Amino acid sequence: MLAYIEKIKEISRRLLQEGNVDMVIGFRRGTVPMMNEPCFVKTPEDVDNLVWDSNCGINLANYLTNRQEKIGIVAKGCDSRNIVTHIIENKIKRDQLVIIGVPCKGMIDRHKIQAMFETEIEHVTELDDKITIKGVGFEKTLEKKDVLQDNCALCIHRNPVIHDELVGDLVDEQKNIDRYKDIRNIETLSPEEKWRYFDNLLSACIRCYACRNACPLCYCPTCFVDESRPQWVGKSIDPIDIRTFHFLRAYHCAGRCTDCGSCERACPMGIKVRLFTKKLEKDCLELFDWEAGMTLEKRPPLDTYRPDDPDDFIK
Amino acid sequence: MGIEPGRLHFSWISSAESTKFVDVVNDVTAGVKALGPNKTFLKTEAKVA
Amino acid sequence: MSHWEPKIVSFLCNWCSYGAADLAGVSRMEYPPNIRVIRIPCTGRMSAKFILAAFRQGADGVWVSG
Repeated sequence: MLAYIEKIKEISRRLLQEGNVDMVIGFRRGTVPMMNEPCFVKTPEDVDNLVWDSNCGINLANYLTNRQEKIGIVAKGCDSRNIVTHIIENKIKRDQLVIIGVPCKGMIDRHKIQAMFETEIEHVTELDDKITIKGVGFEKTLEKKDVLQDNCALCIHRNPVIHDELVGDLVDEQKNIDRYKDIRNIETLSPEEKWRYFDNLLSACIRCYACRNACPLCYCPTCFVDESRPQWVGKSIDPIDIRTFHFLRAYHCAGRCTDCGSCERACPMGIKVRLFTKKLEKDCLELFDWEAGMTLEKRPPLDTYRPDDPDDFIK
Repeated sequence: MGIEPGRLHFSWISSAESTKFVDVVNDVTAGVKALGPNKTFLKTEAKVA
Repeated sequence: MSHWEPKIVSFLCNWCSYGAADLAGVSRMEYPPNIRVIRIPCTGRMSAKFILAAFRQGADGVWVSG
């Protein structure tokens, strides 16, 4: 990790000094533990703010839409796939970007860690695969693999798919991962059971839209939840409104979501919102043999028509 | 997502197939009738006291 | 509830099913009166929003036809 930081700084400094980019988007230390925040570095002097550790779960591709300047961007595997999606969707041009690829070994889940302790966590440090948590009156060391974000534990694309620079050697991809166990369980439920399951799942939702704001795919100028004529979704925390929001958001992400986990990470209530997007990810894989953001060459399944597209649902 | 599959139908009918149209209307109506009223995915307006 | 009849919101493509519905009418065919037809310019105009909006506002069924 430390080696990554030095390398990120070195590359960023060089890019800024040579004038290849107008800014570098990376991470700096956040004001609270486990919450590194995005950072826009515009001068070589500010490069020292940049950091890298296991708290960089935010998807930086979120900050690329409709930008005109030349940008260097620090990208994990999932970020790089979202950058590909952005390029395909014409939200940014490939030649505007210098992608600083970071082979990633997963990010830690702040919800999981906070849940283990009753009082506030004040310091989190990591060394290799150990995470040390400190607060008033306690100190505990955890294995990183036990506190990974759920999506990172299931990740099969840790290395960036496109990059111009690389901060370290590529890491081994995880093999034989069963990504969709939880989704299959839900699929076997009857409609009534599903209804109850989702009621339960979403009962904590306060409609803050943090999941939407954290998502790199959600760049619509006016989100459907904010439209008022016609009003698709009410503004209240009515259960039907909440459900409508989550289902429609998931459908908007179909064939585009890379399971970066930003939505779940951002959720202040700890709702497993990835269950929705992952169901559609599974469908895209099974029906169209598609994984989002893996290539610039192919169009996504939902904006192309092929005569052999599945149509069993049509009478 | 908790809506019974039989509530939502898709079909493809050419503009010349009026008989198929009638058949499908019959099927869809029968299917929905069998399920009874939609009670779940329904936005209830806030009750005014 | 013995008089309950379902309300089915039907989204029909202008060029296909809407034409078929028109032809069925011109040919004096009989079909159940439960459908409420909404003509859309093409099934490509269809959106998941429409389906959920129909259910939210009390539809018992939704039928999309191209």
